[in-house]
Amino acid sequence: MDLDAISQPDLEQIERIGGADLVIGILGSEREHEGSTAIALTRDVLAKLSKPLRAMVVCSNGIHSPAAPRPELVGDDQPPVVLSCSLPAPDPGDTAQRSISNAYRTIFAVGGKLGARACGVITSRSPGLTPQWIYRLVQPVLDLGFDLVAPCYTRQKMEGLLNRSVLAPLHRALYGQKLQNPMGPDFGLSGKLLQKILVQDAARRPGSDRSVLASIASTAAFGDFQVCEAHLGVRAQHHTDWENLSSLLAEVLGAAFLEMEGRAAQWQSIRGAKPLPAFGQPGPLPEDTAIPVDINGIIESFQLGTKNLQDVWGLILPPTTLLELRRLSRLTGDRFRLSDHLWVRIVYDFALGHHLRIISRDHLLRSITPLYLGWIASYALETQTAALPEVDSRIERLSKAYEDNKSYLVSRWRWPDRFNP
Amino acid sequence: MWDQVGDALRLSMTKMLSQLASLLPGIVALLTALILAGLFAWAVAAILRRSLAGFDFDRRVAQWGFPGLAEWSPSSSPARLVTRAIAGIIIFIGFLIGISAFDGALPSQFVVRLFAYLPDLITAILVLFAGSIIARFLARSVLIGAVNMNLQYARLLSVGVKWLVTVLSVTIALERLGIGGGIIRLAFGILFGGIVLALALAVGLGSKELVSRSLEREASKTSVSNIKDPVGHL
Repeated sequence: MDLDAISQPDLEQIERIGGADLVIGILGSEREHEGSTAIALTRDVLAKLSKPLRAMVVCSNGIHSPAAPRPELVGDDQPPVVLSCSLPAPDPGDTAQRSISNAYRTIFAVGGKLGARACGVITSRSPGLTPQWIYRLVQPVLDLGFDLVAPCYTRQKMEGLLNRSVLAPLHRALYGQKLQNPMGPDFGLSGKLLQKILVQDAARRPGSDRSVLASIASTAAFGDFQVCEAHLGVRAQHHTDWENLSSLLAEVLGAAFLEMEGRAAQWQSIRGAKPLPAFGQPGPLPEDTAIPVDINGIIESFQLGTKNLQDVWGLILPPTTLLELRRLSRLTGDRFRLSDHLWVRIVYDFALGHHLRIISRDHLLRSITPLYLGWIASYALETQTAALPEVDSRIERLSKAYEDNKSYLVSRWRWPDRFNP
Repeated sequence: MWDQVGDALRLSMTKMLSQLASLLPGIVALLTALILAGLFAWAVAAILRRSLAGFDFDRRVAQWGFPGLAEWSPSSSPARLVTRAIAGIIIFIGFLIGISAFDGALPSQFVVRLFAYLPDLITAILVLFAGSIIARFLARSVLIGAVNMNLQYARLLSVGVKWLVTVLSVTIALERLGIGGGIIRLAFGILFGGIVLALALAVGLGSKELVSRSLEREASKTSVSNIKDPVGHL
């Protein structure tokens, strides 16, 4: 990671101040007043924290505080010092996930350069960004000695489905930690973890596709790092671009599978998962104003995939799974159910196919889209009338299925040819 | 008179035997070349078979998108097909070397022309091979993309793209080999145009649903922009 992306005046400023206790990255604050708000919010947060601090705010709005004076050591009675610098505009050719990953790299590089004790990055557009978000992400690091603070969001039952169906249970089964959002995208990190990620990223070969965002939680899972979660409240929901859902899946699952491949030697010996301490209270859930899901439309997409993609899936999935999918595609309406066992094995087989490069990785990742839609349809039917606690227990059952089927993944990963049911 | 007949017979026999004797080194050379080539082909085939088995070639061929190759292969093994093809080529080269050992203009000319043709043959084989790989890759891309866009005629599009690329590569290969000449160009034009027209009609007729869906989506965005999308992924 380097600081090439930072503008010259900002670089000079970073050189001049030499060090900071805290680095806050606020992404998605393109308008200038949002950047100013972010600085004001950070100032509020610093006032609440127990020690006097120097902070650097990195915003994506092009503002910076030029010619900032070299800050003197701050005494207990002095107000906290907040400086800011700006992130460059994202490359128009980059996807959302890649832009976030690049921004993370830059913020971490700033944190590393300044020797920050803590770093908080907020990527989500909350309905109203509050000091509470920043405080909850950095306070456990600065005051309680945690190394990673992962976010917990208050969500409707049809939100965060990729997290619920794949990312969180996969992380839990592989790395043994029960995190609601292993890929954030909002995190609080200690200086120690930040340095570890910087060293790790520098050691990777140039042009490596490993995503920084995907490697934060898995890096913290191995090594002497304390991990916790913080309830942040409601997160603004991004509009789903259904036509490009496969691009999103390819990008997010590709990053998770690459991380999984890179840490294969470590996760194979892990069994079970431990709960993590959580700070704050889950916020009240606002009324669900979303239109009902078109379940039949989603089932039709799954059926179209089953009809046309058998040849492609046949290269990735074992015959028993294909048979079950064909049987499932004949079910309609309320009888449509994709069992946890089947879904978990599909995810594991795709991860293995990705690792073995059975077909082009892009083809493989995009071809999972109809299967993911099948899972969404099944989940939507199961939770149609369920209250949130029932939804949570439904997801808990799925997570257990990931853990229970881990031996299947390990066997196939070690002996892909010999163990093929 | 009988003496003269006897002389004539002796002369013709001597002539025939001497001609036969002049062919003998060539025949022995041909047989030797064939035996050596056979031994060499057997050794290469044995090494190749073992290497391909270690590489798990049969499974990989299916993964690379050539599952049909197994049906064409002896014992349904593409590795065996490749081994036998290589062995056959080595024996054929040995045969050509043996043929050229004959002291005659015709075999030499044949060998020279055959060797002059070899670069074109190799180029044509490479073009066909590359065309086949590209056709399968593009067909799979189109199939997955079309299914994810919910297009009912996804397979038709995919097959159309595959045939477009295949027809193009076969035409280039035949042109390279100098087979067919103008007829091939004409046939290519008709076939290519036919496939494009068929695809255009299929997409044109089928895309009504795509366009209407797109318009519906745009309309719903503007008219009910306050309605939340029910599903969130991250």
